[in-house]
Amino acid sequence: MRVLIVEDESALAAQLASALRSAGFVVDAAKDGEEGLYFGEEFDYDAAVIDLGLPRLDGMSLIRKLRGAERNMPVLILTARGNWQDKVKGLEAGADDYLTKPFQMEELLARLNALIRRAAGYSSPVLEHGDLKLDTAKKEVRVGSDAVELTAYEYKVLEYLMLNPDRVVSKTELTDHLYEQDFDRDSNVIEVFVGRLRKKLDPVNPIRTVRGQGYRFLSESDG
Amino acid sequence: MKAGIQTRLLFTTTLVLGSCLSLAGYILDRSFQASVVAGAEQQLRLVTYSLMGVVDFDGTRLGLSSDLPEPRLNQPESGLYANVLMRERVAGWRSPSALTTDVPFPEHVLAMDPGEFLFTEVDDSKPPFYYLSYAVSWGADDGAVLTFTVATEQTEFVRSISRFRQNLWFGLGAVLLLFVGAQLIALRWGLTPLRQMAEEVRELEAGDREILSRSYPPELSGLAGNLDRFVEHERRSRTRYRNALEDLAHSLKTPLAVVRNAINEANGSPSELLREQLARMESTVHHQLSRASVRGPVIVGGTVELAVLVERLVRALRTAYVERNIDVALNVERDLRARGDEGDLMEIFGNLLENAFKYTRSRIRITALKVSGGVETVIDDDGPGIPSHLREEVLHRGIRADEMQTGQGIGLSVVADLVQLYEGSLAIENSELGGARLRLVLK
Repeated sequence: MRVLIVEDESALAAQLASALRSAGFVVDAAKDGEEGLYFGEEFDYDAAVIDLGLPRLDGMSLIRKLRGAERNMPVLILTARGNWQDKVKGLEAGADDYLTKPFQMEELLARLNALIRRAAGYSSPVLEHGDLKLDTAKKEVRVGSDAVELTAYEYKVLEYLMLNPDRVVSKTELTDHLYEQDFDRDSNVIEVFVGRLRKKLDPVNPIRTVRGQGYRFLSESDG
Repeated sequence: MKAGIQTRLLFTTTLVLGSCLSLAGYILDRSFQASVVAGAEQQLRLVTYSLMGVVDFDGTRLGLSSDLPEPRLNQPESGLYANVLMRERVAGWRSPSALTTDVPFPEHVLAMDPGEFLFTEVDDSKPPFYYLSYAVSWGADDGAVLTFTVATEQTEFVRSISRFRQNLWFGLGAVLLLFVGAQLIALRWGLTPLRQMAEEVRELEAGDREILSRSYPPELSGLAGNLDRFVEHERRSRTRYRNALEDLAHSLKTPLAVVRNAINEANGSPSELLREQLARMESTVHHQLSRASVRGPVIVGGTVELAVLVERLVRALRTAYVERNIDVALNVERDLRARGDEGDLMEIFGNLLENAFKYTRSRIRITALKVSGGVETVIDDDGPGIPSHLREEVLHRGIRADEMQTGQGIGLSVVADLVQLYEGSLAIENSELGGARLRLVLK
C-alpha cells in the first residue's frame, strides 16, 4: 500500500513515515501543499494523510485540487485546531475521515486501514473470499481454519490484490505500491512472490495470471 | 418600564403649557370681571346724575320737575330702579319701575356724609343687585341731606361675564389641543432618527445588518459612526484573538503529537509517567483552547439555520462513519434558527452528533423544534447509553466515561461549557431507542 503524507512539521512527518513503514506501508512524505499536490498528481496512492495547516497550499485546497484531478484515494485529514468548522469543510472538500492532533498512532493506522478497505468495498476488517480470509488488523491469513504463514511481502501482495479485486494489476503497479522507490524493481521478484503465494494458499487459487499484463484477483471463488 | 423620551417631552411641555394657559385664563377672567363691574358702576353713576337733574325738593316734599331721563326707570320690573331718601325720613321717592317690585334698597346709606359715593354688590338677594348710593346736601344752608340710590340687576352683567368666560376657556383649550398635536408631530419627526437607529441596532444584533446606514442627522451621525467602529473593532479583535488561539493550538498540539509518538516508540520505565503527564497536558490544552476560542453569545451575532447546520454535520459524519451504515432520522423543522456564532453552534452540534455516531449501534434520531424557551434539540441513539451515575461527571469535569474512545469526555464537557455560556441547558437522559438521549435547549 502506498501512502502519501503531507505534513509540514518534520518531526511529526518522520514519526508518521516510520510508523507507517513499520506497519508495512510504502510512504512518500511531502512537506508542504504544493509538494503534496505534485506527488498526488504524479503518482498513484492507496491513501493520503493530509495536515490542514500547510504552508504554500493549505490542506483544504490541496484536497480540492486532488479531487479535481480525479485522484480518488481515501484522504485522512489531520487538524490541530480540532474545530468542527474545519472538519466539516475538510470532509466537504473531499476528505474521508479526520483526526485531531495530538492523536494515537494506533488510531491513525486503524483509521487508515479502514479507509483503504472501505475504498475497496469491504465493510469488515477481515477480507473474505470463500475459504480465504485475510485479517487486515491482525495481518493474518487463513484458508478454512488453517493459518497460512506468509512473509511480509507475500502478505502485502495478497492484500493489495484482494483490495483491487477483478482488476488486472500489473507487476509495475505492484512494485510501485509495495516497494520504496530505492528497492530492486526487478519484476521477476514479483513472479517469485506470486508463485510462492499460490503454493501456500493451495487449494484455493484466486490469483490468475493475465499473460503479458499482470495478475487478477477473482472475487468469485471458483477454485 | 421607564417612560419613553416622547412621553417625557410631551408630558412636561403639556404640563407647563397647561399651567401657563390656566394662569393666563385666570388673570383674564378676573380683569374682565373687574371691568364689567366698573362699567356697571359707571352706568349707575350716569343715571344718578341725570336723576339729580330732575328731582325737585322744597324742604318737605320730593317730586320730579320734569320727565325721568331714563325710560327704564318708568317701566315696571325693567331691572333699573332708583330711590331717593331724606335723612330725617320726612320725605322719600321711588322710581315707578320699583313700585311693583320689592327692591331691597340699603338703609345704612342714610348715615353717609354728603358728597360720598358708595358702590355695593349684593349677591345673596334674588336677583342679585349692584347699588350706587350718593349723599348730597340739598339747598343752601339748612343742611337737608338727600341720598340717591340707583340699583340695577346683575343678571345682564353676570351673563356677559359667563359668556366671556366660556369663550375664554374654550379658546384656551383649543390652543392647548393644537399645541399638543403640533408637539406630537414635531416629536415624531424629531425622534425618527433615534427610532431608526434603534431598529438598525436590533438588526445588527440579529445579524441581518453589517453596519448602520449613513442617513443620520448631524447630532446622531457621530454616535452612529462610533457604533460602527465599535462593532467593526469587536469583529476584528475577535478574529485576531481566534487566529492567535488557532496558531497557539497548532504550535502546541503538533509538538505534543511528536512527543507522544516518541514516548510510544521508546519503551522504557519512565514512559508510563510521561504518558500520563502528557495525557494531562493534552486534555488541558484541548479543553482550555476549546473554551477560549468560543465566541459566545456576543452583542453583534447572527442566527444560524439549524436544519442547514445539522444536515452539513450529518453529511460529514456519514462520510467519516460510512462503513457503520447508521440509519439517521432527521426531523428538524424548516426555518428554525438558533441564535449564536456559527462556529460555536457547530462545536456544540458537532460534538453531540459525533458522540451519537461513535456510540450508536445502528440508529440515530435527531429532532429539533421550537419551544417556549427557545429551540430544543433531542438526539437519540441506540448505543449503550450513559449510566446515570456518570452523567454529571461527563458533563462537568471532562472525565472520560470510556477510556477506549478518545475525546468523548472532553467533547461533552466542552459542549456543556458552551451551552452554559449561551444560557441554554444540556441534559443526558435515557432514550426510547435504548441508548443515550441528549436534550439541548438553546435560547
